[in-house]
Amino acid sequence: MAKTRELVGRRKAIRNIRKITRTMELIATARFKKALDRAQEAQAYTAKIAELARDLAGSGASASHPLLEDRPRPKKVVLLVICSNRGLCGGYNGSILREANIKLRKIREDGAICRLELSGKRAISYFRFQRVDADETFIHFEDKPRFDQVEEVAEKYLKMFLSGEIDRVEVASMRFISAARQSVAVQTLLPLGGLPQKSDGATPTQPVEYEFAPSAQSILDDLLPASFKQRLFKCFLDAAVSEQIARRVTMKAATENADGIIKTISRQYNRARQAQITKEIAEVIGGAAALE
Amino acid sequence: MAGKTLRCMIVTPECAVLDEVADSVILPLFDGDSGVLPGREPLIGKLRSGELRLGGTSSKSLFIDGGFVQVVRDTVTILTPRALLAEQIDQSAAQKVLEAPSQPSTSSSAMADRLVATTRARAQLKVARSR
Repeated sequence: MAKTRELVGRRKAIRNIRKITRTMELIATARFKKALDRAQEAQAYTAKIAELARDLAGSGASASHPLLEDRPRPKKVVLLVICSNRGLCGGYNGSILREANIKLRKIREDGAICRLELSGKRAISYFRFQRVDADETFIHFEDKPRFDQVEEVAEKYLKMFLSGEIDRVEVASMRFISAARQSVAVQTLLPLGGLPQKSDGATPTQPVEYEFAPSAQSILDDLLPASFKQRLFKCFLDAAVSEQIARRVTMKAATENADGIIKTISRQYNRARQAQITKEIAEVIGGAAALE
Repeated sequence: MAGKTLRCMIVTPECAVLDEVADSVILPLFDGDSGVLPGREPLIGKLRSGELRLGGTSSKSLFIDGGFVQVVRDTVTILTPRALLAEQIDQSAAQKVLEAPSQPSTSSSAMADRLVATTRARAQLKVARSR
């Protein structure tokens, strides 16, 4: 009797957990769609910036800008780690943090001072556990990062980079490739590795003779900071999309696991019940036989 | 080649704000307003914080916060970090920026920040009131 009661209780508990993971899966799916839409809308801007840069370069603006200059042997490097604020998303945070840790060690081995900046509570608690002090932390980038928020951070980096306070900006985050594929990437955002280029590699249309106001060079000089801000923003958007995908996949797996456990427990319960009935019948028959 | 209308697109890093057909567009270029009519020569220009006006059937006015403009083949593309339609502007916030007591600036960068903020607020109010 006790065994069946216990199994019923466990089955009930797992059913409740399944309900929760299933709901989380659905929520993550909805959020993922929204985040993906945002990321796709942002692509128009990126593509346009690349087009402008190409047209400007095509009309004689030379690509010499402090933001483009590579500084050999960097002395101070900023490492920005973008993680999520919440857990329950499988290996998402773990894989980013692993890469970030490797990078951090490498920067230190190269003799540079690393300024560690963390976004997301998961990254903060991880590095606290590792007893690595972070120079700055952000927790306000949720699943809908706003450009204003990212711009603030970007402005700070630009200022520090141009004043020579830092020589390099690295960002460790999840890069979104497709709905089925994301990978951890540590990207160097500053110095910019060349002019912004179109990713699809479309054949350029015939060059247009533009009129420039003020001059091609000065527009290009202004375009580069805008391009950097956009790239940083894209990192945050990608991270938001990838986080939701990771959560959806994890919760789906959890729901399926719960299904399996419910099945196993149901079988055990039925066996136990049947065994009990058999035992009782045997007892009744045994009792009746003893009376004869 | 020169059509009768212009296509005006405004894109910000977050989304495409506007994609409309207009008869004319008045841009806040870095050194003053400049009008664009169908058939204009290709142009790439720098913008300041100010008012963007669309003329024609869908007459409209927006606030844009700097950025770049590209005019090519009767398409005006505006890249700006922020764009607000007249009804989205928070008038009281802009008013507050203008009315804030201007403290004696200690550094030139603080002074520049203040100048940017007031220019932005003034442009926002202008757009909101012209509605």
